[in-house]
Amino acid sequence: MEKLKLIIVREYMAIVGKKSFIVMTLLMPFLIVLVGLIPIAIEYFNRSGSEQLTVAVVDNSGQYGGAIADDELYHFVPLTGADAADPRACYDKADGKIEAVVVIPADVDSVPQVTVYSENTIAVSLKSHITRQLSDTITARRIAAYGVPGMAEMVNKATANVDLKSVRWSADGSEEETSTEIALAIGLILAFVTYMFVLSYGAMIMNGVIEEKTNRIVEVVVSSCKPFQLMMGKIIGVGLVGLTQFAVWVVILIIVAMVGGSMAADSVDPSTMAAAEVANLPGGADAVVEVADGDAMSRVMTGIMGVNYVQILVAFVLYFIGGYLLYASLFAGFGSAVDQASDASQFTLPVVILMVIALYAGMGCIENPSGPMAFWCSMIPFTSPVVMMVRLPYDVPMWELALSVAILFGTAIAITWLAARIYRTGILRYGKKFGFKDIFLWIKG
Amino acid sequence: MGFIEVNDVVKRYSGHTALDHVSLNVPQGSIYGLLGPNGAGKTSLIRIINQITDPDEGTVSIGGRPMRRDDVARIGYLPEERGLYKKMNVGDEIVYLARLKGMSKGDAIMAMLDWLERFDLSEWRDKKVEALSKGMQQKVQFIATVIHRPELLIFDEPFSGFDPVNADQLKAEILRLRDQGSTILFSTHNMESVEAICEEISLINHSKVVLQGRVDDIRRNHKKNVIAVSVDRGQRVEADPSLFTVLPAEAGRRDTLVRLNEGVTVREAIACLNERYTLTGFTEVLPSMHEIFVETVKQEV
Repeated sequence: MEKLKLIIVREYMAIVGKKSFIVMTLLMPFLIVLVGLIPIAIEYFNRSGSEQLTVAVVDNSGQYGGAIADDELYHFVPLTGADAADPRACYDKADGKIEAVVVIPADVDSVPQVTVYSENTIAVSLKSHITRQLSDTITARRIAAYGVPGMAEMVNKATANVDLKSVRWSADGSEEETSTEIALAIGLILAFVTYMFVLSYGAMIMNGVIEEKTNRIVEVVVSSCKPFQLMMGKIIGVGLVGLTQFAVWVVILIIVAMVGGSMAADSVDPSTMAAAEVANLPGGADAVVEVADGDAMSRVMTGIMGVNYVQILVAFVLYFIGGYLLYASLFAGFGSAVDQASDASQFTLPVVILMVIALYAGMGCIENPSGPMAFWCSMIPFTSPVVMMVRLPYDVPMWELALSVAILFGTAIAITWLAARIYRTGILRYGKKFGFKDIFLWIKG
Repeated sequence: MGFIEVNDVVKRYSGHTALDHVSLNVPQGSIYGLLGPNGAGKTSLIRIINQITDPDEGTVSIGGRPMRRDDVARIGYLPEERGLYKKMNVGDEIVYLARLKGMSKGDAIMAMLDWLERFDLSEWRDKKVEALSKGMQQKVQFIATVIHRPELLIFDEPFSGFDPVNADQLKAEILRLRDQGSTILFSTHNMESVEAICEEISLINHSKVVLQGRVDDIRRNHKKNVIAVSVDRGQRVEADPSLFTVLPAEAGRRDTLVRLNEGVTVREAIACLNERYTLTGFTEVLPSMHEIFVETVKQEV
């Protein structure tokens, strides 16, 4: 036990003591946020960086030439006379200055279909811009065509936007507002975190094993302790590094949330006050909208609050440990069978494929978190650590959780036992490339 | 009774037998040589004594009783392929390996400081192992091997990688450890060092012990009735068909090697030579361990 503790401490310090680890741990949350911001940034640069494109409009109906308004990306010019008769010639003549030609047919009122011509592929934003603007205008015109005074307003008022609020009946009879989106997000994040951790820390274990084997320190160490102690010490030490890193991230998250929350509170307070004042004035419609936004905000908050965090956290830690143990010992066992990292791929590929299957199964279970696929994948120990994360926010029956955790830990212990048998032979074998056949022999004997 | 007794040990790996009924007996406080060509089974035997692997048959005892798991604390092992954690500090690494052998943290630190001082490595204590030269790394590994004052030291090719100056220092340290009471098992190809420091040896070839005993006895038993004679300048020793033949002159030898015929005593031969030439000296030539090694291993083939 004393030796195991020594090895755990050494393995832990060997990673945690590294500058690169400290820097990465502190930077990672910000990097993730940065990666999340990239699509927004790209969108921003797309809009601001490019020039406004000219789109010609041929209006055969004579009604809608001006219906399509310009935006920051597109400028619409009506074509008339000879140009309208032969837009192709006009397009060619413009030599790229005209991005596309929109042709509005004469009977667009009865058959609402327009055509866009271009030598280029039409951007999605252009298509949606045209259809939205034309749809609105045509709808308004059709309503006006009925000749009923005030009908536009009536239609506006009559248009209903159904808001769905889901309430879960708990077994104890109480009601609880839930948010599918929030549950989904939490499940996916947990699944992804598990996947990332197990894979990257598993690889770390394998590299550690290979390194010890190649620089031959292993022979000195196993003349002092049992190979099993060395393997477990490494697995536990590295696992603790993972939990440390996770804990640091949670702390960072909480700090950011608190700082962000108080900043948001500071900025929100005066504006809601102002909104309340504005509401008393004529034309306070905007304020109503803001209040409605605040309502949605509080809905999100109750959604976040509605999740059973204690259960999720306990389950997450259990599945994390089980899944990590399972995969880490596989990596350790296989790592012991090779002399250098580059030879390891024949063994790691199947393991990585298992992990990837688990991730996809998890994402597949989003559609139906209580369906048969979700059920079976959360029982199979190789996929359950990831899949169960996705299901967790949707109240998984207790017996399923218990059974799945039991299967996971049973398998993890069995795999660790197998890996130890591979390991104790593998670490002392050099010079030859070993395959699954050799490994099978090592397990046997 | 020996300190380490290996009794009839057999070790099989899938497909071949690494050790075939090997027995040996290492006396307390001696330096014992374990010789043999590559792949003969030396490393397998060392791993069994170290309890890294278990024998399929046979037993190993230490100090008169069967070896137990916790006896690894009484053994220090310097493997042929040296290895240290490259990213660890020299001091931390030595202390870690010492504590794995069961030393307390305080003792390990004290001993580490002492040994670094002895090997002139004190200023390297806080440096990473990878920053050290190969020779210095070897010294660090040596320290890690002996720091817990093991009763049995197993050195696998200890001198490989050391320059002559450091090799001498190492040899002195090994002898000092022996004088302090350690028993030393010494695996090597270097036959000169065997003659210089080993008292007894076992030669393993093809998984079996093919030669065993005290170095002096072995050399005497392998003597080929050769004597080296020196005669006065200008004289040349000629063969005598009834008594001896003259071996071809060896480069660098000023005396003449004479092999006695079967049944001829040294006394008879010298009497004859003394009569014919002005004899200035003669010694009996014992074969070197190198010759015996090569001869024995070749015979086996």
